[in-house]
Amino acid sequence: MKPVSRRRLFRHAARLAAGLTVFAAAPACALNPLPALPTRGMPSAEARIAWLRLLPDGRVRLLLPRQEMGQGIGIALRQIVAEELGWDLDRVETVLPDTAAIAPVKSTVGSDSLKDFAEPVARTAALLREHLRSGTVTSEIIDHGQPLELRSLRGGGRHVGQGHPTEQIAAIVTGAPLYAADIRLPEMMFGLVLPVGAQLPGLNEDLRLLRLEDGRSGLLAAYPAVLHAAAARIARDEAPRAMPEIDIDAAERRGHLEHAVRGDAVAREAAWTLDRRYNIPFAAHAAIEPRSAVAQWHGSGRALRLEVWTGTQDAFFVRETLARQFGLSVDAVVVHSCRIGGGFGARTIVRQELEAALLARAAGRPVKVQWTRAGEFLDGFHRPPSSHRIRARLDGQGRIVDWWHSFCSGHVIFTSAAMPRWMQFATSLVKDPGVARGAVPPYLATRMRVEFSDLRLPVDTGPWRGLGAGPNGFAIESAIDELAALAGHDPLQFRLLNLDPQHARLKTCLEQVADRAAWMERPRSGAGLGRGLACGIYKDNSYAAVIAEVAVAADGAVRVVRLHCVQDSGLVVNPDQVRAQIEGNLLWGIGMVLSESLPIEQGRVAAYTFADYPIPKLDEMPVIDIAMIAPPQAPPAGAGETAMVCVAAVSNAIAAATGRRVGTLPYRPAMPSAT
Amino acid sequence: MLLTVNGQTAEIPDQRATDPLLWILRETLGLTGTKFGCGQGLCGACTIHLDGKAARSCQVSAAEAAGRRIVTIEGLAGGADRLHPVQQAWIAESVPQCGYCQAGQIMSAAAMLRATPRPDDAAIDAAMAGNLCRCGTYARIRKAIHRAAGMERQP
Repeated sequence: MKPVSRRRLFRHAARLAAGLTVFAAAPACALNPLPALPTRGMPSAEARIAWLRLLPDGRVRLLLPRQEMGQGIGIALRQIVAEELGWDLDRVETVLPDTAAIAPVKSTVGSDSLKDFAEPVARTAALLREHLRSGTVTSEIIDHGQPLELRSLRGGGRHVGQGHPTEQIAAIVTGAPLYAADIRLPEMMFGLVLPVGAQLPGLNEDLRLLRLEDGRSGLLAAYPAVLHAAAARIARDEAPRAMPEIDIDAAERRGHLEHAVRGDAVAREAAWTLDRRYNIPFAAHAAIEPRSAVAQWHGSGRALRLEVWTGTQDAFFVRETLARQFGLSVDAVVVHSCRIGGGFGARTIVRQELEAALLARAAGRPVKVQWTRAGEFLDGFHRPPSSHRIRARLDGQGRIVDWWHSFCSGHVIFTSAAMPRWMQFATSLVKDPGVARGAVPPYLATRMRVEFSDLRLPVDTGPWRGLGAGPNGFAIESAIDELAALAGHDPLQFRLLNLDPQHARLKTCLEQVADRAAWMERPRSGAGLGRGLACGIYKDNSYAAVIAEVAVAADGAVRVVRLHCVQDSGLVVNPDQVRAQIEGNLLWGIGMVLSESLPIEQGRVAAYTFADYPIPKLDEMPVIDIAMIAPPQAPPAGAGETAMVCVAAVSNAIAAATGRRVGTLPYRPAMPSAT
Repeated sequence: MLLTVNGQTAEIPDQRATDPLLWILRETLGLTGTKFGCGQGLCGACTIHLDGKAARSCQVSAAEAAGRRIVTIEGLAGGADRLHPVQQAWIAESVPQCGYCQAGQIMSAAAMLRATPRPDDAAIDAAMAGNLCRCGTYARIRKAIHRAAGMERQP
């Protein structure tokens, strides 16, 4: 068999420690029709082998091909490497590499990291294992595509299946530098780019105004306090902007919805068993770390180089964008990945990195950019609002005959935050896959129609944890719950009756969560107590079912008392970290129902502080019971967004407790029920 | 102007007297463990100890902190290669996800435990309400505080 690639990995220890130059590096970039969100193929065998380096002390270093934002990918991949090598975990270390150290890899998005990278990392480590065993350490490692035993993907090993804390936990709890804003360089200054249309604050000797290469203006100060004080005085353009109505009735009146997800014809005139609207507001990522980056220029003329430190979900996209902006080759730009202080989809485009680079260029000094909290709300992008209408008909046995889910939404993947206007127009002809995510229910219907319309909004919108799956899951699982009641069925039995039999794994999740919560023996709802059930599939590979128990006080205030969740996201490499992801999802579900709504006034975001956008606090965290299950041999799948369907378990529990369906998020006690 | 931070005295230029202590700690003294999250005292990421009590360093000026005992996450354990019981509990309970808010969480928890060595859940909820975590580590924070309470040596 012809070698598919080769790389000289081991010559002698000193060179190994420094790393070797990749020769004949094959670019892993696929043609990218949408610069906003790049697509890249999987790395070549050659690129993969460069992820692992043998260190002089006999340990091995994994150059992480994924970004770390708290999802625990670093420790999971380290466990896989240790498992393949048969070594102790502390003989394997991980680093977030800079863009010069490894070949381009795809964005860290969509809960894809273990699904896509467990096998390539395992295979690379297994190659090294076989190589060390054969005693030919000084020769090249060649991946012939030969069959290799991948122990780590069988499950139940020495490391895989064990719980471990996130990488860098010692640094986190002692406050050691980890994040982009922790970078401090000699002569560094602090800068911000003024929003377009902003009025400048008064300048003084501590505050400089810079004209930037791209025509915008920047402020520069030697002290962050000076800059933050100035930022608070910036008068922004507040001219009203027209905000298209996100209302499914208005969208239907305008004519047909242009994007079909399922296109069966349904009889429109006959009576519906259920006809409900669900409205979901704008939502912010609200990561605690504001966007931050540090940029430093080196040399001049043909030797001009740019170095940037940032927390990003795609360091190679940052590199490409900066190279294009400044007319540099990609090799002249090095992006250092820092741990991200909360991603949730917000770090998928290039903003603060470009700002730091522009400011540093104009200043002739290294510059640190750190967005203000107001900037995070006003200049970031957000989950779009959406409006849903679900119509359904049941037969006499409670089976779904007709299912018609129509909805309209702002954009998600085709984000206006990173697209020129012409492209925004072009993409209006294409179905935004982010809006559509999770729109197909896991249930059978004789006729199923799922269609939507997307609208370009004046407020930037884009990916937010789970993309469309959160809003779509809320609408679908709310409707299913109400259909169950209309059919006189138990919500669990109704779901099991209507579930598409191909989703046996979801059925298992439902049955097990019902067992854990003693669902069938639950006390009668009412008198301020209620339980609700919801389930969903994320990206066709990950399954979850959630039961929520809520208490409603006399004044209508809702408290989630307890949550049960059973999730099947395939092989669990690190149960502690998967559990942590589920805990986060459950809390996000609570936030969606009880608090989160980004205020908009006159077509602009009107949130400036966390007081304007409350996120769940510690006292809102209920008692939680989580089980992770998987069929034998199921590969690892997405674990970070599946349990978002908790949103509907909570709203269904509120309906059970109050007798009123939740049609509009967030839930407000005084709010009229769904119509 | 002199500041006493983690037991050491640092000279701060008088022109910086009105700057929030947060920026002095991070950028003048290089103690970047204290995080900027909102600058409005609403998220708790910048929590430090002032004379043993939790304070939001974005809401305290350098001048107001002068003459007081300032402790940051870097000085909480009282020495290099040592961990405060709260830090140990944070590792044992595997609390952090992204980690950004955790220094502030730990500082708030440590101050609370000094005042209330055996807190119940209600006391924890009350003391920690001003520390936001977007990843959703709250259940583990609660557990870690209980664990640390068990570890705290009673005076």
